[in-house]
Amino acid sequence: MPTSPRVLVIDDDQDFRASVRSLLENHGYVVIEADSGTDGLRKVVEHKPDLIVLDIMMKCCTEGYGVNQAIKHQEAYRDYRNIPVVMTSSIELSPDELFPMAGEVEMIRPDYYLTKPLDIPGFLQVVERAASVCRSRNAGEI
Amino acid sequence: MSEPAERETIVIIDDDYAIRLSCKKILSKMGFRAETFEDGAQGLEGVARLKPGLAVVDLKMPGISGMEVIARVHEMDPEIVVVVITGYPTIDTAVAAMKCGAYDFLPKPFSPDELRLIVNRGLERRRLAIESRRAEVERALLKRRFVTFVSHQLQTPLVAIHQYLSVLKNLEHTEDAAAKRQQWFDRCLARTGEMQTIIKDWLTLARIEGDTLSRQRVKVDLKRIVADILATYEEMAGQNSVSLEARMPEDACCVRGDRNCLSVLFDNLIVNAIKYNKPGGKITVSGEAREGEIEISVIDTGVGIPERYRQLLFDEFFRVEDEGNKKTAGTGLGLAISKKIVSEMGGSIAVESEVDVGSTFRVRLLAYRAQAGEEDNNRSPDELTSEKDTDRGR
Repeated sequence: MPTSPRVLVIDDDQDFRASVRSLLENHGYVVIEADSGTDGLRKVVEHKPDLIVLDIMMKCCTEGYGVNQAIKHQEAYRDYRNIPVVMTSSIELSPDELFPMAGEVEMIRPDYYLTKPLDIPGFLQVVERAASVCRSRNAGEI
Repeated sequence: MSEPAERETIVIIDDDYAIRLSCKKILSKMGFRAETFEDGAQGLEGVARLKPGLAVVDLKMPGISGMEVIARVHEMDPEIVVVVITGYPTIDTAVAAMKCGAYDFLPKPFSPDELRLIVNRGLERRRLAIESRRAEVERALLKRRFVTFVSHQLQTPLVAIHQYLSVLKNLEHTEDAAAKRQQWFDRCLARTGEMQTIIKDWLTLARIEGDTLSRQRVKVDLKRIVADILATYEEMAGQNSVSLEARMPEDACCVRGDRNCLSVLFDNLIVNAIKYNKPGGKITVSGEAREGEIEISVIDTGVGIPERYRQLLFDEFFRVEDEGNKKTAGTGLGLAISKKIVSEMGGSIAVESEVDVGSTFRVRLLAYRAQAGEEDNNRSPDELTSEKDTDRGR
């Protein structure tokens, strides 16, 4: 029997985490919370979630990018490289628009980029799409 | 006459060899790097290459005229000071030269002193113009930084509130929504309050700076202020397992100021001492009255402030972010406001700190002195009107 997809929410705002948790749980997801980049990376390893929802600006302006870079590019996290990352921010511009010339954009580009506050239907769609990709990949691996 | 701090370059453009030589001599002696050119074309090339602060230009030259040179130099860089020299000075040429961008006019023959005077004046004017332009740029940057910073400060709680509301809508008929509704209303109210505090603090800061905060200048006993604040925070301190103590002298510690501002000043320091303290820690507020001065220190046994942050501590944009701890609530403006209040009163505030041991904030204010025509009773106005009758010194 398929288990519910697990979503790791990394955001330093407890209220944001609380509302997203309720939303996702009501739509059949299991939610794990982390309140910082460090905590987030630790929980990626501990829980191996099916999806990561990640805030850009936590303690410092670009902490989220660092987490994304770690998951996608560092050896230590190679087992978690395929987990889709949904990045959230109150800035309207995506990383590509913010840093159009940076070669490193490759390294920090997430799988999805959504602005806060989240448009609920849009967010749920993205989550479903990302989770189903992971589900079918996992099914293929078994 | 003043010597320039770094070697400023001056360019001399004159077809007269003697003039070139003597100008170069005079200006070199003043400490400038002086370069000479014998016609307009070479002179313009020299200006483009050397980027001087000042150019001395002769009006009557073969080839490109002096006026043309002035106009072209001005086009290249309007901040280069141009001094015009000519053997045929007339009002008309003077006016024409100014219109082309010249700063001043020196008729030939001129004495070394006359040249020195004009050059120094011209360069001083240039220095002021550059400084003022730099200040403009800095001001614009600061403004932009402020707007970005405050927008983000307000955006965060606003996003949280919006998120709660839209999720509530989405979960409308579920059981979970009914259960969560009350709790989330409370959270929305809390975040709304947070935004109001942020706005209030910024306004307070602006009003202190802008001098629009209505302030009294009366006799205020700091002992009473400190006692009142400590009483207010007794419960909060208890919740954080932190003990409060006041060590104030026997006599009153009076300063001349506004009661509310002084309350805010010490309130911010004491709240910080509680917030950044360790469980089981202690806060001591001690006072000392010296010759014409009152010193109040707020001493905590808290996490301390690393050396590298101490310079920035009183900056309105600065928050100490601890590595391990969560962000503490607050707008981060407390110390900036306290410092502004202290500065307005002509006092000083300083911090000493040791990481993991604690911090001491020392505020020094001028002691109260009765002015001519005022009564100096031993009872301060607040003592006369206060409803509290117990002595709070612990």
